[in-house]
Amino acid sequence: MNTTRRCLLACLAGLTLISSAALAEDKFIVVASTTSTEQSGLFGHILPIFEKKSGIKVRVVALGTGQALDTGKRGDADVLFVHDKAKEEQFVADGFGVGRKEVMYNDFVLIGPKDDPARVAGGKDITAALKKIAEAKPPFVSRGDKSGTHSAELRLWKAAGLDIEQAKGAWYKDTGSGMGPALNTAASLNAYILADRGTWLSFKNRRDLVIVVEGDERLFNQYGVILVNPAKHTHVKKDLGQQFIDWVVSPEGQKAIADYSIDGQQLFFPNAKR
Amino acid sequence: MNNGRGSVFPLVLDQVCFSPKGFPIVDRVSLAIDAGVRTVILGANGAGKSVLMRLMHGLLLPTSGRITWCGRDQRAEAQAMVFQRPVLLRTSALRNVAYGLKLAGMPRAERMKRALDALKRVGLSHLSQRPARVLSSGEQQRLALARAWTLEPRILFLDEPTASLDPTAARDVEEVIREIGATGCKIVMTTHNLGQARRLAEEIIFLHRGRVMEYTPANVFFHAPRSAEADAFIKGELP
Repeated sequence: MNTTRRCLLACLAGLTLISSAALAEDKFIVVASTTSTEQSGLFGHILPIFEKKSGIKVRVVALGTGQALDTGKRGDADVLFVHDKAKEEQFVADGFGVGRKEVMYNDFVLIGPKDDPARVAGGKDITAALKKIAEAKPPFVSRGDKSGTHSAELRLWKAAGLDIEQAKGAWYKDTGSGMGPALNTAASLNAYILADRGTWLSFKNRRDLVIVVEGDERLFNQYGVILVNPAKHTHVKKDLGQQFIDWVVSPEGQKAIADYSIDGQQLFFPNAKR
Repeated sequence: MNNGRGSVFPLVLDQVCFSPKGFPIVDRVSLAIDAGVRTVILGANGAGKSVLMRLMHGLLLPTSGRITWCGRDQRAEAQAMVFQRPVLLRTSALRNVAYGLKLAGMPRAERMKRALDALKRVGLSHLSQRPARVLSSGEQQRLALARAWTLEPRILFLDEPTASLDPTAARDVEEVIREIGATGCKIVMTTHNLGQARRLAEEIIFLHRGRVMEYTPANVFFHAPRSAEADAFIKGELP
């Protein structure tokens, strides 16, 4: 796309919606996001609403959070929609992104066998539960794949005052697996496992597993949205990207997020501060 | 033929190690394999792929850890394995296929009919009377697949089934594997060939030095590998 055209688009974007339909096929942005957001079906729900309203197509590249940030650093995306607050803030501090906004959170849940050999069910305190598990040593399945969920699990063991590298034995099964296969392994071994609620809700093969601990604030997983810095990468579609960001944190965008559910259960909780 | 049509899945490995003379080849592997999708065990040479599959199949016993089929310790009867180089009998293609059915106690007329049908399905019916050993490598491999297929296994293990074949023969074999999978037979295969994994895998178990680094749907593996090892493997293999 040449510069004149880009300027024209930018001007139009700031004007009304009337002209947007005519140029709809030309208007798109690239959003680098995470596999969790894509696979949960959230984008499938909210993006058509945004596209219809704005005439801007959103092309999603679903990656791990780390890779999504790298994609932004290279300027291969206009907007990032990810969930690692510390790394996101670093990304902005390093000048790769601007105007980070918090969008929503989802949460992790501790899953375990119905008969609950570690006696942790019903509580809300995730670290107390993990301490009990480390004492009772029932089977525990870990993602062990350096994913966001794996990092969260390691953080929680640490918060519980445990050095999991020291504490783990045959009971702690480091599977190197994605969320689905790891849940399957946990179901087969009747084991405890930390999972994101979205994957758990869409997981069919539960056998004897149920949610045993949920609702602790330390189980919340904050998502943020960042515009890739147009001063660093001049081809970034600053205005279109900003329109997307503004919509996501607007009452309408926030409602679209809140409306998304699986089996009647809400997966993502909007919490943008405008 | 009834191959014990009760459930054999999931196949579950719980902290499985294989370390002859203390040298770990497969190291603390825990995973569950379900029916349905085609599972590809991927990794570089020496990663432990074939050993892991032989442990699953029961040809090797784990040094420690446990393997169960639908919660039971005994290995499932309804499984078959095809190797990189098939072992064929010194007789016709047809009799090679029929022999497995004979061992399973099937009457002659029926087993000949079934064997011919299997040869047809792998595109070898025109060679049914040829001595198996004069067939090309690709044809021999398809013959081995036909032989496994007639036994109606619930799970078919394939160890680098196309490693010694040229691209055309490999494609033919892949096509047969896909068809066998489509009949409801669970496919578990090893390969070090990334292109083949892309074509055939629905889920990937990526091994590195005997450890599972990733077990994930194939599209996630190829687009967003989590481990540096898998990332390097994917990049290194791309043309």
